[in-house]
Amino acid sequence: MFQNRAESLALALPAALFAAVVFIVPVLILLSEGLRLGGDWSLAHYVSFFSTPLNLTVFIRTLKLGVLVTVAAAVIGYAAALCIVNLSSRNRGRMVGLIVLPLMISPVARTYAWIVILGRTGIVNQALTSIGLTDAPLRILFSETAIFIGLLQLFLPLMIISLVSALENMPRDAISAARVLGANWLQVFWKVILPLTKEGLVIGGTLVFTGSLTAYITPAILGGSKVLMLETLLYQRVTIANDFASASVIAMILIVMSFSANLLLKRLATARAKR
Amino acid sequence: MKKILLVSGAALMLVASSAQAQERKLVISVYGFAQDAFKTILYDPFEAKCGCKVVVETGNSVERLAKLEANKENPVIDMAVVATPDALAATRAKLIEPIDVTKLSNYEKLYDIAKDPIGGHMSVGYTFYATSIVYRSDKITINSWNDLFSKELAGHVAFPNVTTNQGPPTLYMIGKAMGKDTPDLKAPIEKVAEHKDDFVTFYVRSSQLTQLMQQEEIWAAPIGRFAWEGFAKMDLPIKWATPKEGQTGGMNVMVLVKGAKNKDLAYQFMDFWLSTEIQTKLAERLIDSPANKEVKLPAAVAENLTYGEDLVKSLDLQPAEAILDNRESWLSQWNAKVGQ
Repeated sequence: MFQNRAESLALALPAALFAAVVFIVPVLILLSEGLRLGGDWSLAHYVSFFSTPLNLTVFIRTLKLGVLVTVAAAVIGYAAALCIVNLSSRNRGRMVGLIVLPLMISPVARTYAWIVILGRTGIVNQALTSIGLTDAPLRILFSETAIFIGLLQLFLPLMIISLVSALENMPRDAISAARVLGANWLQVFWKVILPLTKEGLVIGGTLVFTGSLTAYITPAILGGSKVLMLETLLYQRVTIANDFASASVIAMILIVMSFSANLLLKRLATARAKR
Repeated sequence: MKKILLVSGAALMLVASSAQAQERKLVISVYGFAQDAFKTILYDPFEAKCGCKVVVETGNSVERLAKLEANKENPVIDMAVVATPDALAATRAKLIEPIDVTKLSNYEKLYDIAKDPIGGHMSVGYTFYATSIVYRSDKITINSWNDLFSKELAGHVAFPNVTTNQGPPTLYMIGKAMGKDTPDLKAPIEKVAEHKDDFVTFYVRSSQLTQLMQQEEIWAAPIGRFAWEGFAKMDLPIKWATPKEGQTGGMNVMVLVKGAKNKDLAYQFMDFWLSTEIQTKLAERLIDSPANKEVKLPAAVAENLTYGEDLVKSLDLQPAEAILDNRESWLSQWNAKVGQ
């Protein structure tokens, strides 16, 4: 597009400088807090973080919930996206609009809505009691299940949108061709759809996983503080303990987890393609 | 023509510079809530009175204290309002200086607990609130902080998380009720941990409580008086408990930043804020309970605030020193025993 590399680099320079000054430098300053002890560089804060059993439990719980939400979002996301791309273009636009709509509502409001839905007198418990599945209302609110549901609803739209755009770019005949050649639906998905939409899955997966790791208000409210997560721990370190060093350790762990998830998803996608 | 231009240019510069000299600025650091009301009741009238400009910086206490610390050498803020433990933290970090109370004409009108909350005249209280238990009076009766652990209430209480402003005062009163009120709050935290599964939630935002009460998820919760209005409006029989161990609460104070550039304006502003007129207006809008004892309020307004000599005298506030020195240990005990 541009005559030489220098020209294109020069054009990218202002944006890169802006990002470096207002984003990368402050983040590096913040992260360096966790690597300093009394003016010297040190890993002491990291050692102390990982040698506390409570922190390890919280780390594993956060990772587990992030993975579960991402996998669930991928499964539901593929089903929804496959339905949406088969709609007429007008209806597709409407559906995508409906899916994007919740993203325009504050996560706080969406989380509060779950208190109404999942409560003892909420519609979920009313439905369960009326069809006779349970005698007394279940305690869904303020548990790990509630956090899972809240996070899934919060980030599912990002997965669906990524997968819809990936599926739209897939040659429409590919599925029919595979079917004609005798593949069953599972084989079609595994050998045709998945390899052709892996980019969408990588983007959607990274967004959902990162979002689940870093969401604060949903675990804080729907978990009822009985379920400590890394993000709630980070909030405590800053607001109560005024301890920016260990907050920076947690921030670094969250960043590393997000990048690792992205790399892992990419690796999985390419491994499938090579086979 | 050239001469005329020069002369008028010079005149214009003179006017501009004198306007600049007149336009003095008072920079204040406050909580972000109810700023529209503060502007009409407090900031605008003060600007008109002093002929200066009030620059308002808002945020939570952590952000605002961090900013004071960052600008320690060359302070931009003149005065700030914070909670008592934060004022003590600022004192220890040498970010604020003693207030010369002789410069505050309204000082003598304050309730005694507001006059020198953290000692050394490092702060002056401008508002406070009571903390007690709201409860469904048709379901239960609450006479003691210990009732939060009763069998009848199991599965019906929202307890404040230790990270909220209501958490430590509630634990403090439970300690008193248990007869084990050491500043480390060890006994009350252990008691909460024992009954952990009996609590519906350890809430982080008091705004969610009205919804939980309305949905009958909870029958009782310890709250600050500032949140009472939402419960009082509900179409349910709800009462404010007066436990036999007393009520606790919290206080917000004004502090003077060390090396402030506009100290005279800061004093004028603090005095104005503490005046009977301004404290009455802020109370009437249900923004802050008055620290000025000359404020007279109609019963309907007083009902929603922490008001009246008897009530104020009965408040058993947790010492700021105990909060500041033990906050971190409470948090780690809580995380290890309750937050798991």
